[in-house]
Amino acid sequence: MRKLLAILVCKALRFVGKLVGKGSSLPGKYALKLCPDILRRVELPQHIIAVTGSNGKTSTVEMIAAILRAGGKTVVYNEEGSNQIEGVATLVLSHATLSGRVRADVLLIESDERYAARSFKFFHPTEFVITNLYRDQLTRNGHPEWVYDAILPAIHPETKLILNADDPLSACFARSGNAVKWFGLEKCSVSQDAPSGVYHDGAHCPVCRAPMVYDFAHYNHIGAYRCTACGHARPTPDYAATAVDLDGGTLTLDGDVTVQLAFRSIYNVYNILAAYTACLECGVAAETAAETISGYVLKNGRVQTFRLGGHHGTLLTSKHENSIAYDTNLRYVASAKEACTVLVIVDAVSRKYFTSETSWLWDIDFDLLAAPHVKQVILSGAYSNDLAQRFSYSAVENWIVTPDIAAAAAQLKDGCIGELYVVTCFSDRDKLLAHVEKEG
Amino acid sequence: MELNLIHFYPDLMNLYGSYANLSVLCRALESMGNTVSVETVQPGQAIDLGGADFLFMGAGTERAQKAALADFLRFSETVKAAAEDGCAMLLCGTAMELLGKSITDAEGCVYAGIGMADFTSVQGKKRFVEDVYGHTSLYDAPVVGFMNKCSILSGIETPLLTAMDMGFGNEGKGGVEGFLWKSVMGSHLTGPLLVKNPRMLDTVIAAIYARRGEALPTALPRDEYAEAGYAVTAEQLKKRCHP
Repeated sequence: MRKLLAILVCKALRFVGKLVGKGSSLPGKYALKLCPDILRRVELPQHIIAVTGSNGKTSTVEMIAAILRAGGKTVVYNEEGSNQIEGVATLVLSHATLSGRVRADVLLIESDERYAARSFKFFHPTEFVITNLYRDQLTRNGHPEWVYDAILPAIHPETKLILNADDPLSACFARSGNAVKWFGLEKCSVSQDAPSGVYHDGAHCPVCRAPMVYDFAHYNHIGAYRCTACGHARPTPDYAATAVDLDGGTLTLDGDVTVQLAFRSIYNVYNILAAYTACLECGVAAETAAETISGYVLKNGRVQTFRLGGHHGTLLTSKHENSIAYDTNLRYVASAKEACTVLVIVDAVSRKYFTSETSWLWDIDFDLLAAPHVKQVILSGAYSNDLAQRFSYSAVENWIVTPDIAAAAAQLKDGCIGELYVVTCFSDRDKLLAHVEKEG
Repeated sequence: MELNLIHFYPDLMNLYGSYANLSVLCRALESMGNTVSVETVQPGQAIDLGGADFLFMGAGTERAQKAALADFLRFSETVKAAAEDGCAMLLCGTAMELLGKSITDAEGCVYAGIGMADFTSVQGKKRFVEDVYGHTSLYDAPVVGFMNKCSILSGIETPLLTAMDMGFGNEGKGGVEGFLWKSVMGSHLTGPLLVKNPRMLDTVIAAIYARRGEALPTALPRDEYAEAGYAVTAEQLKKRCHP
């Protein structure tokens, strides 16, 4: 009875919520109050895929859904990104029959890495994708090992793990003894000899702290690591990207499947690889996956193109408090060959809470912008002084400070050299987009 | 002067921009006409701390901290003697816990510290996370920063921050924070606290000069962006403490 009531309440609140444009966690919250173990009492689909990790969750989930649907499967997933237990309850119950059966082949969940254990208390994923674990949002997460410890109890012995072979920390989840499928990027055109970046989180083994060595690295400390003492090392991937041509925009999977890259970033390569692995593990054919993902433009894309005066611009949304997200976008700018101008904005560190925490600026590899085609860098926002101090310790020389964002936009309208790249966060991007004409 | 700075475990103990403390210190000392060298120490690496003017260790994860501690114990007597002699030191985040009597991890396992002071650190499964606005006996300006730790530190009688309007102190909400003894500073303030607090940087410079018996110039170097950044943060945090 409580179960039926919880389902009805959730559906009703969801209906009303959609009408008034309210968030998607409230209905689930009330349903959980009425019936705390409701998620145990519903009949879930055969496949429950969960995706967590520091970066790439939303993109990976979106691509998994697209591929599975192309493969003829019905998929229920939290497109709105309410990724704690309340949002998961809303998702599950609003797609359930009154008897509690979820009408889908696959339940797909983007799960907040710190709350995964809470979400999966009453049911467990059949496939659990962990994209990566690295420095992200110190204000909430502490540090990557803390997040690792928070995810660990969410892993049920029967869950198959889909892990990034190239990430030394999240690879440690395999030590739980669960079945594992590995995805990874083989040595290819983007590989470097050694890890890059301001700090080196792959210098010491996450298992025994002995020094690690790298045969190659793809970005930061993601690559082919090997502990010199305990044997912790990059496993051979079950699903591999065997070639990447970022200039030509192609990716080769498992030697013979070619994918066109809509966004030519190494990040995108890993997200595609994670999605491809999860879908093939659910029985989708490699060709179907490749066709769907080829040239796939993310709905939830963090790239927005626009015009500002006579200039063309690209907004590269980078999470504040996440140095690797920044590094990835800076690397994208660095790899562009044409003359360009870069605007970096740090105005509100977070859109959800106040903090003046800016230590993460020192973890970003701004030296990537010290390239001849980067003609000028403008630093803007309330924390432009902190940015300026950071830049004064970088190899970049041609930077200026314009604290007011509107003034920076006006300045760029008149005097932007080449393409304008804007590197900032969700919390700050609209402050610039208010001054431009968006494309597409 | 030719100054020798020591950076302990630069990869192992380097969470969230800790290294930047050394970057700003080096630049300031150099701009004062000094020649500065930074020697790094990896676990197991032989090093002579005899001529050191400044010892630095950044913050690390709780597990990295235990690895750092296992190596740092070999320096216990040398580091304590240097501290006694007035050598300037800064230990950030979990590194400051190494100076105490013991560290207890979240599972209850106890590790002996180097015992420079009589305090104990007990780590738990909850993190204390908040912006920090506090005060120090070293100078008049407020101290700003951020905190993210999982430890309760007990028995510190000479704290770095003598009062806190916002943030978690050594033993919980408010109270006092960090450790200060002679020229040794320890704090759980996140990462680059000398970047965020230009007056704290001045204090370290003064301590280095004092130990060398050198007169401190009346005007210390000023980084206009550091000063302006500090002013913005201090104003924002003050407003939140006293709305």
